[in-house]
Amino acid sequence: MKKAMTLALGILTSVGGFFDVGNIATTAQAGASFRFQLIWSLLLATLLVIFLVEMSGRFAAVSGKALPDAIREHFGFTFWLVPFAVLTLIHLLTLGAEIGGICFALHLVTGIPVQLWAPVVAVLTWFFLWRSTFSTIENSTSLLGLLTLVFVVAALLHHPPSGEVVAGMLPSLPDHDPEKYWFIAVSILGAVIAPYLFYFYSSGAVEDEWDPSYIGVNRVVALVGMGFGSAISLGAIVVAAMVLAPRGIEVSDYHQAALMLTDAFPFWGFVLFAAAMGIACLGAALEVALSMAYTTAQTFGWNWGEDLSPREDARFCLVYTGAILLSALLIMFGVDPLRLTLLTMAINAAALPFVVIPFLLLMNDGKLLREHRNGWLSNAVILFIVILSFVLAVVSIPLAIRGGS
Amino acid sequence: MELVRDVLDKQLVDREGTKMGRADGIVLEIRADGPPRVDSLTLGFAVLASRLHPRFGDWFARVRARWSVRKSGRYRIPWSAVEEVHQHHIQLAVRAIETPAFDWERWLRRHVIEHIPGSE
Repeated sequence: MKKAMTLALGILTSVGGFFDVGNIATTAQAGASFRFQLIWSLLLATLLVIFLVEMSGRFAAVSGKALPDAIREHFGFTFWLVPFAVLTLIHLLTLGAEIGGICFALHLVTGIPVQLWAPVVAVLTWFFLWRSTFSTIENSTSLLGLLTLVFVVAALLHHPPSGEVVAGMLPSLPDHDPEKYWFIAVSILGAVIAPYLFYFYSSGAVEDEWDPSYIGVNRVVALVGMGFGSAISLGAIVVAAMVLAPRGIEVSDYHQAALMLTDAFPFWGFVLFAAAMGIACLGAALEVALSMAYTTAQTFGWNWGEDLSPREDARFCLVYTGAILLSALLIMFGVDPLRLTLLTMAINAAALPFVVIPFLLLMNDGKLLREHRNGWLSNAVILFIVILSFVLAVVSIPLAIRGGS
Repeated sequence: MELVRDVLDKQLVDREGTKMGRADGIVLEIRADGPPRVDSLTLGFAVLASRLHPRFGDWFARVRARWSVRKSGRYRIPWSAVEEVHQHHIQLAVRAIETPAFDWERWLRRHVIEHIPGSE
């Protein structure tokens, strides 16, 4: 029974972590500007993230350790400092983007400016973390997250040309705006293979007290959970391609993305979009803030855990409180949520080598993982990710400057 | 046992199972009449800073002296308080709450956390 329940962790991680503000922004842009042509990058990223998440869960189940904890223990503080700093930056930017997403959703239904919503959303997000346990957050957000299935429903209602959708699953060269094309491709990879995601996942598995008997469950969770998230993203690309592309609407602002559901659901479209975006971003914001606190507490060896009362892990609580405050300030001071999101996705892609390489080394540690260490297939995939991530690291920032504007 | 591999950076756990920091540093005692002996484990941001560069350590110690709630930047745990070195943690025979390792935790608890509703 408990094992069946842990499927919820996977669904939380996929809805909250997989389908979040980054996916909404990048899939809407991909569909609007290049119709089905960028589906391949979503599929590639999904395949890679399934492997990473599976490894992260397997690592936690066998060693009983979350990744930041284990990396510091094994490689020492000096080695861990750079990935830790990179992760901290990513956590803050991502949290800012997610909070921006929630604020935009609220702006869409109320008309009150995004900036004014930021303090309210910050307090709301903080209060959730302050009061609830890990399983409450897990269960409530994964249940509400089902709302994001509207993108899949809308995609089916539009009867997309299946030939073109299938053709988009294979990489092809763009016939216009190549810089923009590659920028969106990189952003999709950065949005799906979000580094915080697989670091968070291992802490979540420790919170849920996984042991080696969870290896099978973990495999299913990684596959089904990430597949579920990917199907929603695919739905969003299809909807954007069917609704925005024919009208020549390019997504340079979330308001344009918000038109996506209005064809399939004429009256409720806006509200549904706002609700789906708000829920997905709230789930992700909770995860990212927690992830930041897990990473910091484990780095310094503090007491940590969302199931402890704040009295028992004061410093852990201080970290997520500070993170929410700092990230909300970005939005309060008028940083555009969409631009922040796209920049963050490019930085995500560039950060991959720093966070994947220590992880790869650990996964091959026979003393730690015994017979559960990586096999040749996982190593081949992760090696591919490392090489790809080096390329992304080199191209993503210039692309962000040239293709993103 | 190898000190760097098996002790340094490992999680420290107190008598009640509370995580109370990591083995940020190890102090060895050089003796005239025998091989060096492990004197104590040290922990604290100042120890970490000096591992990056000794100058960072000094700089940190100065900043800390002015601002920190902690009386000492480097808290030493005598090796005699180490009960056992496990694969993933070091068991100590102390109570975290009574040690300087928890200065910050105690301060935050008393001055911030307990004033916010719902902290129990």
